[in-house]
Amino acid sequence: MTAAAILIPLVAAIVAWRLPRRVAAVVALVGTIATFLVATFLAGAPALEIAWLPALGIGFRLDPAGVSSVLILAASLTMIPTVLVAGRHVGERDAPAFLALLLVMQASLNGLFLASDLVLTYVFWEATLIPSLLMLGLFGGDRRRGAVTKYLIYAVSGSFLMLASILALRPLSGAESYAFADLLPATRALDPVTQAWLFAGFAAAFAVKLPLFPLHSWLIDFHRQNHPSGVADVAGTLYKVGGFGFFAWAIPLLPAGAQAFQPWLLTLAAVTAVWGGLAATQQKDLKSLMAYMSLSHMGLVGIGVFSLTAAGMNGAMILLAAQMLSTGGLFLLSGMLHRRRDTFELDAFGGLAKSAPALAAVTLLVLFAAIGVPGLSNFPGEFMSLMGGYAASPWLISFAALGSVVAAGVYGVNTYQRLYQGRAREGTRDLNGLEVLVIAPILAGILWLGLAPAPQIARIDAATVVALELEVDTTGETTGQTPAGAAERLANDQEAIPAPDLALGGEP
Amino acid sequence: MSDPAAWIALVPAIALAGALINGLFGRSFREPFPGVLATVVAATGFVLSFVAFVALQGREQAHVALELWPYLQAGSFDLSLGVMVDPLSVLMMLVITGVGTLIHLYSVGYMHGDAGYSRYFSFLNLFIAAMSVLVLADSFMLMFVGWEGVGVSSFLLIGFWYQTKANADAARKAFIVNRIGDVGFLLAMFLMVATFGTLNIAEVNAGAVGLAFGSGTLALIGLFLLVAAAGKSAQLPLQVWLPDAMAGPTPVSALIHAATMVTAGVYLIARTAPLFSMTPLASAVVAWVGALTALVAALAALGQTDIKKILAYSTISQLGYMFVAVGVGAYWVAIFHVFTHAFFKALLFLGSGSVIHALGGEQDIRRMGGLGAKMRITGTTSLIATLAIAGVPLLSGFFSKDAILAHAFTSIHLDGYGTYGLYGVLLLTAALTAFYMFRWYYGIFGGTSRMTAKAAANVHESPATMTVPLMVLAFFAVFAGYLGLPEFAFPNWIAHWLEPATLGELTEVPFRHPAAWVEWMLILASIVAAGAGLALGWWIYAARKGAPIRGLAEGPLARLSRSGLGFDAAYRALFIGGAEGTASGVAVLDRDLVDRGLLGLGTALTFFGRLSARLQSGFVRAYALAMFVGVGVLVILVAWMGVRA
Amino acid sequence: MGGPVPTEAWVALSAALFAIGAIGVLTRRSAILVFLSVELMLNAANLALVAFARQWAVAGTQVAMSGQTVVFIVLAIAAAEVAVGLGILVAIFRDRVSTDVDTLSEVRL
Repeated sequence: MTAAAILIPLVAAIVAWRLPRRVAAVVALVGTIATFLVATFLAGAPALEIAWLPALGIGFRLDPAGVSSVLILAASLTMIPTVLVAGRHVGERDAPAFLALLLVMQASLNGLFLASDLVLTYVFWEATLIPSLLMLGLFGGDRRRGAVTKYLIYAVSGSFLMLASILALRPLSGAESYAFADLLPATRALDPVTQAWLFAGFAAAFAVKLPLFPLHSWLIDFHRQNHPSGVADVAGTLYKVGGFGFFAWAIPLLPAGAQAFQPWLLTLAAVTAVWGGLAATQQKDLKSLMAYMSLSHMGLVGIGVFSLTAAGMNGAMILLAAQMLSTGGLFLLSGMLHRRRDTFELDAFGGLAKSAPALAAVTLLVLFAAIGVPGLSNFPGEFMSLMGGYAASPWLISFAALGSVVAAGVYGVNTYQRLYQGRAREGTRDLNGLEVLVIAPILAGILWLGLAPAPQIARIDAATVVALELEVDTTGETTGQTPAGAAERLANDQEAIPAPDLALGGEP
Repeated sequence: MSDPAAWIALVPAIALAGALINGLFGRSFREPFPGVLATVVAATGFVLSFVAFVALQGREQAHVALELWPYLQAGSFDLSLGVMVDPLSVLMMLVITGVGTLIHLYSVGYMHGDAGYSRYFSFLNLFIAAMSVLVLADSFMLMFVGWEGVGVSSFLLIGFWYQTKANADAARKAFIVNRIGDVGFLLAMFLMVATFGTLNIAEVNAGAVGLAFGSGTLALIGLFLLVAAAGKSAQLPLQVWLPDAMAGPTPVSALIHAATMVTAGVYLIARTAPLFSMTPLASAVVAWVGALTALVAALAALGQTDIKKILAYSTISQLGYMFVAVGVGAYWVAIFHVFTHAFFKALLFLGSGSVIHALGGEQDIRRMGGLGAKMRITGTTSLIATLAIAGVPLLSGFFSKDAILAHAFTSIHLDGYGTYGLYGVLLLTAALTAFYMFRWYYGIFGGTSRMTAKAAANVHESPATMTVPLMVLAFFAVFAGYLGLPEFAFPNWIAHWLEPATLGELTEVPFRHPAAWVEWMLILASIVAAGAGLALGWWIYAARKGAPIRGLAEGPLARLSRSGLGFDAAYRALFIGGAEGTASGVAVLDRDLVDRGLLGLGTALTFFGRLSARLQSGFVRAYALAMFVGVGVLVILVAWMGVRA
Repeated sequence: MGGPVPTEAWVALSAALFAIGAIGVLTRRSAILVFLSVELMLNAANLALVAFARQWAVAGTQVAMSGQTVVFIVLAIAAAEVAVGLGILVAIFRDRVSTDVDTLSEVRL
């Protein structure tokens, strides 16, 4: 069941690759819907373990507990409309390959979220990169060469450093295998300096992927040069898993290292959030704007994760899930706008609310979701991330909150008004049937996460509790576990030191 | 949910349903069905609020809490969404839904023929839903949901006629200034969680009382809350959005920017009364912000020529009064003024809407005049409202305004922070208010006509859907004040009603109780101030037809006043330029520095690579030399280190 | 003359010859002369080996024999290398009609 989340898209990809566009589209759609259905049942599914390279301590270990199921759920939901768009609006010749790449990417992304073996995680980490690169390189815009090169160099440089850390991790800590549960007690026992070095290696890869200022430049070109339908951008949004890497691996395994780097990382995350927001207000085309907006959101995810508080980390992960829907939805909407005007330049639009009121309303809703209006998807995550960050560093986060929230208000409202308000030069067609089908899952997801995020947050919280534990008492009864899996299974045995929470206490 | 008092919790859901129906299907409905639907929704809300009001009477514990569903969780912190039905929230709901219903009814006539008829009512219901959530919330989190929700509705409604750029700009300005206030709200919440570990209103208040009196943390929370309140209630320095918001349809101005949304800031502070009662510093800042705002806005109102802008500045000024009230710790007094103000201010706005409608869109009072004879109902009700806001005795405004002045004068909580100064500023402002409101009234309804021929031809009294709400509101503008007669000598229902919901059992804010004659002197002073303002207005505008002031009206002071005392220009110079510059600087830096910078790293590597490639020159003798040098080095090394086995 | 020539003298001669050969390799432009210099270096090494072989000959035959055996190996290698090298040179000469080493610069990046 757990492995089905990986296998279904993979099989669909292989099948769809060689088929004509129509059939491939149907196969892909069926595949993503099936994956989504699997994802809804994933939370309670059992962990999977298959021996792979036992001599090296590497095993094929999957564990859906904790944050994995939440992220897979959000990603699968977002994939459905993405595949719909790809099947319909990517060229006749390119579509099957595109669909296959999308599905392969979904498969490895799910694998990345599920893996509870560190080396397996690395395998999926790189495996997800390849389809993303191919989508950019094969189907991108005029300057895709430069974008691909940049993306590749950034990503691989980081990954190599991470690989070095991974390979050093087991011998240095003396853990039995690369399974999370085996690594956890061993790596935590390492001395702080070693932890810091190892953490730095991980941080290199995750910081590039987050992306964290100043390593974010790849993101802007990536989004600018991707295929105008927005499909590859959505895939790229799903793949912004740097925050997940910190949350699931670097911080739990190497807490001393995390604390050593926390001031720097938190500051950089705050800068990212504000930098992205400010730059977004100045962009003249939709794609660049959304790239910077996405950067700003990731800054908030970073704030949450680097706060090293329960609230911050929960917030970061639920925000990660939420932005898959909202940012993904915005990319699909920008694809719809591009099909109407053949450009992304904001000046080419204007006054469209009169002729396309439904499109306007939907865009407004998704835009508001993206800028963190309460009741919609991004708010719980944004709120908790900032809350956690505030507990860690009040002044810095006050500055970050002011900058990013106000900037978000500016670019959110500005974008909506430039697209839909003012005088219309010419009208445009409103949402057609397919577009309604495309946007419906996004809207449903936005409302679902905005109004009732509690069950998802509860799952994430189980993982956070383990991640922030300073000591874990393991009886070593099970292996191949992700943080939450470990929490659930060791709940009876662990000596719980309350997670460093937010009660600073007032003056007596 | 078997408790009738709890049924009020359905109001947001009903209003939201109304908004969705009109929003999704509205265009296929024919007028006036969307309006009727929305009005029925609002009326239902009023009925449920009234039921809750009645149900809470005579209860030992006038408080119903209803838990909805869990929302957030983090380690030992968790937050559920829930509803709190108590005297304060019920009173606010009565105002929101009551005045709201009247305004919905009015809109049915006012918006007749507009292309976005159903969209308008959809947004209006959305507003009711959000505002209800705001006042019924039991936690700051849920209140924030409503808080931003009303901000969104406000944005949608101010920019309702979005084809005109000015309207869209006004909507954007409102939203962004509100967002600045929202950051204050967020920071307040973060600090609350850090200090008390909860966002539940009751728990925070209880926790606040447990901290040291005057503690810095409480003051900081209070100041953050003030930022939020100032943003929403258009107080200094975030007041600049409200005059521009007059770009929206007049009923919107009446409902959102007079009666309800802008009072949310006052509501917020009243809700956190126990917290504020523990921090005189923050309370003093609140009070002085309110007082200065009241004065500044009144000065700005003097120079306005737009029928609605005068009222907008008047609203800002009256909100300043409410802030002074909560600042000195007279929380029920502030809410009382919210209550009376809702009636006469909505009446003033709806009256001006009636006038604008009758004149075919004219909004400049210099082109009005003499309408009292032709629009009897509008004129009479507007006069009642004018007298009420001016503080003429026995009308509602008199009682609530006087209560504020009295409590400012007798405050102990803010001893040392200039309570007499507060009083003085408010008294002066009261005189100014009477003056400019008389100018407003007389300029529209009195004297001789200055209308354009086209407008004069069209003039007619408005239809019943518009005049009936005017009359209902006028009734309340006259009589609503009797619920809160001066405490020193008369029974006061509203203070008793609100007391448990504001300060409750937790704490008390002390006031001096001077002799009765002092109290009567204060009342007399208010009457004199109001009278002076009205008399001066009469003398200048009615008796002398504006002659004494003509020179002044063209001069630089008038221009300064008309520009809102120059705040917009100042902000543009100080902040917007800086912000724009920073933002574009960031964008450029990102492109040229960060991007190229890291590419530069690659270039540097390539350079070194190319340098080393020069070694591979193909020049055989160079290779030979390299070999010799290498061997030589090895030999020396080996000789130096000794041969190892 | 008194006694056999001391080993140091032979080593000094060997070093001198090696140096001359090295300088020859580095400075001569004609390929044939480079080969000549290489031969000189190899034989200088042989000389040193033979000198040490004679020095250690009294002490034990193992060492002495190794020295002389290595000389033979070196001679053989030198011969082989010259044969191959001259063959390459002839092939190049056929193509270019020049034995200038500086012109053989095509093996580069």
